[in-house]
Amino acid sequence: MNMVLRSAIGRLRFGSDQRELALLYVACLVGALLISLLLIEFNGSSWSRAVNALVDGAFQSPGRWGETLRRTAPLLVVAVGSSVATKAGIVNIGQEGQLLVGAMGGAFILTLVQPGTPIMLVLGIALGAVAGALWAGLAGVLWYWRRIPIVLSTLLLVYLASQMAAFTLTRGALLLNVVPGEPNRLLQSAAVASGSRLGIIEVFGNRFSLSVPIALVIALAFSWLLSRTTWGFRLKVLGLNSRTAQRAGVSHFRYGMSAILVSGAMAGTAGAMMLAGGESQYKFSSGFSSSVGWDGLLVSLVARNSPILAVPVAVVFAALRSGSMFLSVAGIEAVLVDVVRALLVVALFIPPAISELRRKRRAMARQTERI
Amino acid sequence: MVLEAGRIYGILGQNGAGKSTLMKILIGLVTLDSGEIYMDGQRVLVKSPQHAADLGIGMVHQHFSLVDALTVWENVVLGDRSNRLDAARARTIVAEIGGRYGLEIDPDSCVGSLTAGQRQRVEIIKCLRRNPRVLIFDEPTSVLTMEESEQLFAVLRQVVRDEGGTAALVSHRLEEVLQATDDVVIMRDGRIVAEMPTSGSSLDELARAMVGRDVRLHTSDAHHMRHGAGAGSDVVLRLSGVTVTSRRGGTVLDGLSLTVRAGEIVGVAGTEGNGQRVLADVLSSLCKVTTGTVEVGGVAVETGRAGAMAAAGIGVVPEDRHDSGCVLDMTVAENLMLTSLDRVSSRGALDRPAMRKSAERLISQFGVSCPSPDVPMWTLSGGNQQRVVLARELSVRPKVLVAAQPMRGLDVSAIEYMGDRLREAANAGVGVLLISSELDEILHLADRIVVIYKGAIVGEMRNEAVDMTRLGMLIGGAT
Repeated sequence: MNMVLRSAIGRLRFGSDQRELALLYVACLVGALLISLLLIEFNGSSWSRAVNALVDGAFQSPGRWGETLRRTAPLLVVAVGSSVATKAGIVNIGQEGQLLVGAMGGAFILTLVQPGTPIMLVLGIALGAVAGALWAGLAGVLWYWRRIPIVLSTLLLVYLASQMAAFTLTRGALLLNVVPGEPNRLLQSAAVASGSRLGIIEVFGNRFSLSVPIALVIALAFSWLLSRTTWGFRLKVLGLNSRTAQRAGVSHFRYGMSAILVSGAMAGTAGAMMLAGGESQYKFSSGFSSSVGWDGLLVSLVARNSPILAVPVAVVFAALRSGSMFLSVAGIEAVLVDVVRALLVVALFIPPAISELRRKRRAMARQTERI
Repeated sequence: MVLEAGRIYGILGQNGAGKSTLMKILIGLVTLDSGEIYMDGQRVLVKSPQHAADLGIGMVHQHFSLVDALTVWENVVLGDRSNRLDAARARTIVAEIGGRYGLEIDPDSCVGSLTAGQRQRVEIIKCLRRNPRVLIFDEPTSVLTMEESEQLFAVLRQVVRDEGGTAALVSHRLEEVLQATDDVVIMRDGRIVAEMPTSGSSLDELARAMVGRDVRLHTSDAHHMRHGAGAGSDVVLRLSGVTVTSRRGGTVLDGLSLTVRAGEIVGVAGTEGNGQRVLADVLSSLCKVTTGTVEVGGVAVETGRAGAMAAAGIGVVPEDRHDSGCVLDMTVAENLMLTSLDRVSSRGALDRPAMRKSAERLISQFGVSCPSPDVPMWTLSGGNQQRVVLARELSVRPKVLVAAQPMRGLDVSAIEYMGDRLREAANAGVGVLLISSELDEILHLADRIVVIYKGAIVGEMRNEAVDMTRLGMLIGGAT
């Protein structure tokens, strides 16, 4: 089979570098799938049943692809935001916290202002974006003011964010929905006012909110911004060679900060849109973000910071999530999906790393030849 | 070359004269292609630094070979081939050698927290504990203060006298060679051109021998020389009293002042490490000055603010183009447009076709050989990358062009091309500042020569009236 593949790929007129890369991708993905299947078999279930359950859960059963799309939207928005930061050479890994803070900010308008109106919906999402941006901006300020590494601060701010969100849910004066006559066991907010909810699209029984088209528009918009504007150009210069950027007039503070703020704003927007789009019955709770931030970060890593590539990758990640719900029904541990996903991510990272290494080695060899 | 016991030898020469290579052969880092080395009348073949140490040859390197995170005694015994780590013994060694030669240092302090002078002490102790009979110092004073240097020479003298060994001091600082050595060996272009006892020689003599040049090269340059270029035209670049203090506390530029007039090429001569890199960084907005001002066309420019120097009209061909000259992972077209984005964009949106067009124009104008403007920069050869940088910097019609070591790593034709372009720029009225540690380059191109030494301009002369002796003395730091 390998021979067939090789000749098939060989016929595509790629440069040898690209052909090598494509082969590496195929080999690594096949390897990851093999390991996954073995793992499933060793766990006493059959891989065909597992695959069937996954596909059923993600696409085939009635209403399931709507569920997959619903989960795609926030992943995509988060991923687009993180690619903006990464383009500028800034490693923001705190999307999980920024998303939670965004949802919390949104909740202050969406769940508290009654009756809801479309204006309140827009304001709520905007407040979510601002809250996410500020949360990420905190890490930016710490870096430019005191040189505290952004990787560290964004990561640690995730834990601070979840504590803060939990706190707002302990006070009736803040977000907690106090139900008279009942002890408050459920630490959650009131539901989003019905007038402030994102519209629901229904196609053949598949239901998802307006956040899906909005996310697509965001991805397209940022694809354009990054490749066709001076802002995107300068971010790229900054990310690839910061000294050249400084010399050419790209202020580290201004452009770096803009990238951090945008990435935070996108995570915040994703959070607020999840809330307004019906996630956990339109109610904000402290576990609201449920790893969407982390997954969105992974999506952008796998898509190699391309907002357009992030679209299919986000769909795959969302499908793995919605499909995993059917695994337990089929008697397979749903945790396996996480393992499979991790294997896929690792498999997708290996080829570019290897080709980069080989490129460097070849360049070195050329240099030593010259000497 | 003969090294006698009990004497200190100064090995003098410009950058690239072969001093370091000679010393590397002695300690076994480089193996010789032909020739012989004798120690005590016995022919030896130095195979490795370890072997050299066994033979009794030790070297104190210019760049310290210490581990910052370890303590002094740990560094001293580092590389010992015994299985047991005897801390007490190591501390005694440090204290004992330190006491004998006046190199006192706390064996338990962490190397990372020491000053340059103290680090060198550690390095010397490390070397001395093996009781070497030949001790080599590679530019030992380049990181030291005056006082520290004098202490070092005292130690050196004592070691040579007490141990009956010999020491070789590699340097390009004339005065310290005169002050600290018994004999001088002068190298040029990989050969020893003069050997003399220090006491009988003068600064002049050393300087001339070090710079020494055949008349041929000079006369062939004559037709290039543009007599009186720049005289009387406007000053386009003026640096006044520029001082830069590095984070470690050292002064890397020390009240440097210089001017460049429109249409002239000013060559900054000097051996490497005298502040050239920082000078170029200041003019690239990469470094903030502590005191002093930079004026372009009579207007003061804020230092260290992104793009300020470029906006004021200073083009830079940097010493290391990969560091601050280009972005290897972006396309040739993008690299060509780095500083002139405004011309290929409107209201923040890039005009890709316009970008491609101007890139194609520059590519043909400067003869960059590349398959298309859209290939990544790293696919180009060094010479072509250099052309891209030059094309970009000249395309924005700068008032000043700074070229830092522009010929380094280029082949002959590329060097010639670069020289022609610099002259052309000057003829078009650009003030050119050529920073180079290759004196040939400067004599070949510059109208006016200034010499940089320890972060300051120490002298100046016109090329047509160049006095090689004085130039050599200035470069060597003798006044």
